[in-house]
Amino acid sequence: MTPPDSAQFPAGSSRPLQSPSVVTAHALSQHVATADGTLAILSDVALDVKAGETLAITGASGSGKSTLLGLLAGLDQPSAGEIHLLGQRLNDLDEDARARLRAGRVGFVFQSFQLLPALTALENILLPLELAGRVDARDRAAHWLDRVGLAARGRHTPRQLSGGEQQRVAIARAFATDPQVLFADEPTGNLDADTGARIIDLLFELNASAHTTLILVTHDDALAARCQRRLHLVAGHASEAVLA
Amino acid sequence: MTFLKLGLWLLRRERASGEWRVLLLALVIGVGSVATTGFLGDRLKRAMSEQGASFLGADLLVTSPRPIEDWPTFSVKKNVLTTRSLSSSQAIEFPSMLATGDAFQLATLRAVDAAYPLRGSVRIAPRPFAPSTPQPALPPPGAIYVAPDLLSLLSASVGDRVQIGEAGFTIAGVVAEEPGQLGGVFGLAPRVFLRADEIEKTRVLQPGSRVTYLYQFAGEPERIKAFGAALKPALDSTQRLIGSREGVETLRGAFANADHYIQLTALISLLLSVAAIAIAAHRHALRHYDQAALLRCFGATTAQLRMLYAVQLLTLGLLGSLLGVAIGAMMQQALAVLVLPEAATRLPSLGLAPVGIAILSGLLALAGASLPALMRLIHVPPLRVLRRDLPPLPVGAWVSAALSGAALLLLIAWYAGDAKLVGVFVGALAGLIVVLALLARLALFAGRGIQRMANGPVRFGLAQLLRHRFDSTLQLGAFTLALFLVALLALVRSDLIAGWRQQLPPQAPNFFLVNIAPYQQEAVAAYLSQHRLKASALYPMVRGRLTTKNGIPIASTLPEEARDSNTLRRELNLTWTAELPANNTVLAGRWHGSHQAAAPVKGTPVGAPLLRSDPSAEISVEAGMAERLHLAIGDQLGFQVGDQTIAARISSIRSVKWDSMQPNFFVIFAPGQLDALPASSIASVYVPPGATGVLPGFVKAFPGVTVLALDKLIANIEAVFDQIIGAIQLLLGFLLAAGMAVVIATLLASLDARQQEAVLLRTLGAQRSYLAKGLWSEFLALGGLAGLLASACAEIAMAVIGDRLFELPVRLHPWLWLVLPLAGALLVGTSGWLTTRHITRVPPMQSLRELG
Repeated sequence: MTPPDSAQFPAGSSRPLQSPSVVTAHALSQHVATADGTLAILSDVALDVKAGETLAITGASGSGKSTLLGLLAGLDQPSAGEIHLLGQRLNDLDEDARARLRAGRVGFVFQSFQLLPALTALENILLPLELAGRVDARDRAAHWLDRVGLAARGRHTPRQLSGGEQQRVAIARAFATDPQVLFADEPTGNLDADTGARIIDLLFELNASAHTTLILVTHDDALAARCQRRLHLVAGHASEAVLA
Repeated sequence: MTFLKLGLWLLRRERASGEWRVLLLALVIGVGSVATTGFLGDRLKRAMSEQGASFLGADLLVTSPRPIEDWPTFSVKKNVLTTRSLSSSQAIEFPSMLATGDAFQLATLRAVDAAYPLRGSVRIAPRPFAPSTPQPALPPPGAIYVAPDLLSLLSASVGDRVQIGEAGFTIAGVVAEEPGQLGGVFGLAPRVFLRADEIEKTRVLQPGSRVTYLYQFAGEPERIKAFGAALKPALDSTQRLIGSREGVETLRGAFANADHYIQLTALISLLLSVAAIAIAAHRHALRHYDQAALLRCFGATTAQLRMLYAVQLLTLGLLGSLLGVAIGAMMQQALAVLVLPEAATRLPSLGLAPVGIAILSGLLALAGASLPALMRLIHVPPLRVLRRDLPPLPVGAWVSAALSGAALLLLIAWYAGDAKLVGVFVGALAGLIVVLALLARLALFAGRGIQRMANGPVRFGLAQLLRHRFDSTLQLGAFTLALFLVALLALVRSDLIAGWRQQLPPQAPNFFLVNIAPYQQEAVAAYLSQHRLKASALYPMVRGRLTTKNGIPIASTLPEEARDSNTLRRELNLTWTAELPANNTVLAGRWHGSHQAAAPVKGTPVGAPLLRSDPSAEISVEAGMAERLHLAIGDQLGFQVGDQTIAARISSIRSVKWDSMQPNFFVIFAPGQLDALPASSIASVYVPPGATGVLPGFVKAFPGVTVLALDKLIANIEAVFDQIIGAIQLLLGFLLAAGMAVVIATLLASLDARQQEAVLLRTLGAQRSYLAKGLWSEFLALGGLAGLLASACAEIAMAVIGDRLFELPVRLHPWLWLVLPLAGALLVGTSGWLTTRHITRVPPMQSLRELG
């Protein structure tokens, strides 16, 4: 078993010749209270992700992948341990402060796409840009719609798009704000193999050109194999294999 | 982009969604109902206050059943002044007959002097609906001005001759407008103006005639004030002093009370809308948890989300309220025409104040209804984007409930006014909710039995009702309430008026002959028997005021709340007879018969006013009056008749059948007491439908006698009743609409689950028609059930009202049990089907995709 990242370099420290850390976690645990006592979802997880790195979090269903992703993105508070996101110690921030930290700097891609059904494809991309107060929001949205090959579908609502198309819109939405880090939760989970492969290509192609840090949760080995690093979770315990 | 703009943007994008539409619809209905009554009430109130003194016709008005000869002096800045320092005018008002060739009509005559009115103006037109000019109400000698409706009643026109008593007059013009008319819209006898100096020649006024003397004063405010202060103590309880200000205030007060209750009726619609809004807001929140979570992921803070959803809600609130106000503005005009057909055109234009009040009410209702859902929405955990099953963080349930409750209570308090009424209203509302909920549950329970017997889609539909038990209870309750109130009003109208009419014996008297002078009595009796008309006995009538009980002023013997009794404020018609009139039953004591003054009664208090008459004289008192005034057998009552005081002892208490169409009296003296006083007589007579021709002859033969057509009187009362009920029914239309909004909102809230079931059924092979039949049977059953419950409630309420207030026997209304369930089934069926039919039409594949 490979020692956890944190054993190699304590959180918060920086090493010369390396990019700065974007996400670090130290002694991270998450418990929930159940009728039968406390259930540990994550135990003593540590990791450090540098700018521009790609990390796949893998593991069986219920191994705690999504919980870890949620904690790293500041969507939830850990039971124990600490997390730094974009240089800020999340433990010190309340829900709203964490939200402010995410604004415009963190992107998301979800398994179920999470497009707003009332908005068109273009407007869905526009939404986080507008939230971040970007002046060139419209142009950027149109640009990113074009980048994912859906320029002609801008006025269509999610209902009129296929699953693959919806995920492409979601990817455009995630990249449009130039986030420093992008979290993806099973981005191909709802797609067939062919479409999933095309989505993976698109995701990595865009990531390469944008130099975004990418942390994704998947149980798709093909997808995990494209990442530089891989963190495997077994019943809440992490083991890492650096692949690339 | 600010969250304000974002909120509006998202709202625009989602405007077609069902929740927003229902929310808007419910708000429009609720605000529409309060705006309608608000506008009309405001217009009426302003009509009263804007007219001020001109409304009263004077700065100060004194009304009295007797002429007032002596006016007190008063002092202003140490100068003692008399009424000569004021301008004044006198008028006499009394009912009398107007007759043309073969038509006759009862009218309210006002005999005026040249100064009338002192303030404001009377407008006279050359013919009905022609432009009018302000001019003195005093007609030229030998002429009268009449209200326009009198012309049609008499089939006469301006220039025609009419007979009043023994004198003939020419109709010289039509009264288009007169001071104080707003209050007298419901007057049953049309107005006629004649010259005070020409009353004499009509010979209509007899001793005992019902006459009101009107004394108007105007002058400098200081003097009027001092005069009023000096005058007040000099007046007795049958005389009234009305300042222009307090006149308006009194009227406005009386009106405000009625207005209050009507506004509360409107408030019920608003509160029902609140239920629909709450459900729609809840569904909106449910459907937007994902959106809110996503926005939080994108970096939105709670404050920003609050702003976003508050902006959306406020926008909808303003839009809905404005639409409601617009509808209210239209409906109030309909209401005005219905309630005040004659005054509607003269009311001031729409005011701005009710607009603000209606909008505020709408926003308050919206806030109260949607706060809990909104607070949950704002507190959605962002982690929900990863775990869809994650519920929103529990907001302290009592916090949002308390906030909502406070908002709604504020709303009720605002409309109800005083704390007591708020308590009554909230209590009644809570009681009603509990009763309706219980009834609905019971009905649903009974529905289970029916469901077992049914099969196929019907069984499926009924199962839906039972499965969504909370929704069904709510829908059933809301719709039952609406149908119940509508039905109750219809029953009140049909039963109390028509029912009473039907109860009358076939040959009940239909005309009253009033004001028969002593010298005419024999001739009248002869005329009646000559034409074979069935008449009651002739009862002599003397008018007197009840002043003392056992020698003490009667008001002081009564508890505070009973002192204001109408019986004490007006002069009573006193009669005497040896025979107990038909339709009277002695309940206590013994009927005095022809018995005259018996042994003296002991115990007349020392210092009692000196009584002219024999204190052992006997009287019989009506039971209701005895109860109101706390009178018992043996009490000695003192009556003021003109300038004399007459005392008598109560020897019996009678029940009177007031609807018998006979002359009925509160107080009947034993013969011998009042005989010496000037009296006119009254009788009732039955004129068969074919013989109405004898009446014009009678009016010609006895011009001074007032002929009251009871048919017409009842028809008039019915017409007024119809107007008022029509107006309230218009408001109940809002209630029905609000009930439908509740049904639609609850259905929308269950639409997702229903769609899922429909998809499942369709994939399992159910045909569209199966689903449609299922839906129809569900809604028809719901509406029909609501109709049945409403019928039961209406029957019970009607039985109670009829029994308690009108002593009518309990009567069932089979038609109600047919009409209400049908109406309910139709309304709920249609609105239910329109809301849900979508789920039977969408292909299963699309449904699956929509539901994600």
